[in-house]
Amino acid sequence: MSGLRSFEFKRRETDRIIAGVAGGLADSLRVGDAYVRAAFLTLLSIWGIGGLLYLAMWLIAFDKIEDEEVVPVSSSQALGLATAFAGVLFLLGAFGWWPNPILVVTAAALSFGTAALTDSSRPAPLAGLFDPNVEKPSRMRILIGVVLLIGGLSLLNIRVGGLFEFSTVFLAVGLTGLGVAVAFGPWVRRLVGDLATERNERIRQEERAEVAAHLHDSVLQTLALIQRSDDPSRMAMLARHQETELRDWLHGTAPLDGIDLVSTALKGAAARVEEDHQVPIDVVTVGDHAVDEHTKALVGAASEAMVNAAKHSGADRMSLFFETDEDEMTVFVTDQGIGFDPSAVDTDRRGIANSIRSRVEKAGGTVEIASEAGEGTEVVLRMPVVKS
Amino acid sequence: MSVKVYLVDDHRLFLSGVKAELAEEFRIVGSAYDVDTAIAEIRGLNPDVVLVDVHMPDGGGVAVIEGVVATNPDVKFLALSVSDQAEDVIAMIRAGARGYVTKTIEPPELVKAVRRIDAGDAVFSPRLAGFVLDAFAGAIPSDDDPELDQLTPREKDVLRLIARGYAYKQVARKLSISIKTVETHVSNVLRKLQLSNRHELARWASKRRIV
Repeated sequence: MSGLRSFEFKRRETDRIIAGVAGGLADSLRVGDAYVRAAFLTLLSIWGIGGLLYLAMWLIAFDKIEDEEVVPVSSSQALGLATAFAGVLFLLGAFGWWPNPILVVTAAALSFGTAALTDSSRPAPLAGLFDPNVEKPSRMRILIGVVLLIGGLSLLNIRVGGLFEFSTVFLAVGLTGLGVAVAFGPWVRRLVGDLATERNERIRQEERAEVAAHLHDSVLQTLALIQRSDDPSRMAMLARHQETELRDWLHGTAPLDGIDLVSTALKGAAARVEEDHQVPIDVVTVGDHAVDEHTKALVGAASEAMVNAAKHSGADRMSLFFETDEDEMTVFVTDQGIGFDPSAVDTDRRGIANSIRSRVEKAGGTVEIASEAGEGTEVVLRMPVVKS
Repeated sequence: MSVKVYLVDDHRLFLSGVKAELAEEFRIVGSAYDVDTAIAEIRGLNPDVVLVDVHMPDGGGVAVIEGVVATNPDVKFLALSVSDQAEDVIAMIRAGARGYVTKTIEPPELVKAVRRIDAGDAVFSPRLAGFVLDAFAGAIPSDDDPELDQLTPREKDVLRLIARGYAYKQVARKLSISIKTVETHVSNVLRKLQLSNRHELARWASKRRIV
């Protein structure tokens, strides 16, 4: 590519400080963004031209934002640009348009000094000095940083001190700090980065070991069992049980802080019934509540209702729905099986129905059993929410 | 003209299984294992119904829906997933899916779901009904469109019955309304889910991540 490619100015999308104007201009000119920012800062000291220019370019490229891959210009071209900028600067000076020559020179020294130290856009020829990834802070870098910054600082202090009397001390501390940061920053950053990387790696390894241990105990065991089994329904059940267990583990539905939740207890109860009776149960819960004496009765009764349905309904699956609002918890155990006539049931079924009923009613709730022959059965358990 | 169905799932075994189950009832026009292929092919084939997995590399089902919706607005999506994470499912619906079923669904039920989606209705599995009830539970937030941010008592009744495992037909009979009315209620709930600005919805989803 020649240096004559069309000049198209866009604002930068990433790696920007205010609105990406300086960065975008740097990309268009194909020079380090630190230098362009320094140029804006220097111009800012001349009647605020830098600021006005920045705003103007912001408006021009208001809706043009894009990141570009940039091939830097050669050193000689960069030198040319720098000379041109210096020329314009001194032309302004020659016309007497510098409000305060010392301020302009100081601003230029400070901003371009800092830019030279922080620029990381060009790998050559000063990579060893200015690349933040160098092995250690080079002596040259420290030297330039400290000399430039202390120089700018003294200049400010001596010649325009009157302007900044209040802030002289603040400025001195700030600029010296900046100099030190520029000199040692990359090295400190690298050190901190290394420590963080090491710690993350260790945590990752521990996590991996834990995952491996868990998968070994659960999923691999189940897969082995499935391979040894030749009963399809048992295989399906093993798979389903493992699925539930793995899901709980993956999504952390296990009790939080030792508080057992009704939803977890119901899912556990459903999983046990599934396993014992080989009937899949679809569990849906809305809202939640901590397990206490009342809800324990609710879970126990729901469990019995599920066993009852699994044994007698003949349905190939059933549903468990739990919902709670502020006043009441409701559990529905629904199957689409053969159903029964509630007024004419055998003693076994009535026994179970009675035991469900007495359990829930003792805890302050109610039970409804709705069924018709051929229409399936629905057991509804209601329990008032006890405000604690 | 039979319904043109397209399948997207990065699990090849599962994909071929579903293909076999649906091949008798529908015209399977194609399938993809990844998001980019899916978007390109769906744009070209313009199928009636796309069955799409929630979790896939490169953006998952949401990316597929978003990649197609602008060019082929008539394509309808049914989310099919092992995920029962509420936020994943709600994200699919809000992207434009007209239904969500879990991968453990019985083949005849899946066939019914595809027909329903093709007819322009919404498909709510018991689990999705539960999520929606959960999401819309509690006080109404002070949003600008209360109508969108709240379910009517009737809509809640319908969702509760679906959550209890009843098919639309049974829901209709239980509430003494027609199936058409059930479908209307469910479609309205879907619309609310997609359009509601209810900030509860976002907060609720992030809360679910913890509990």
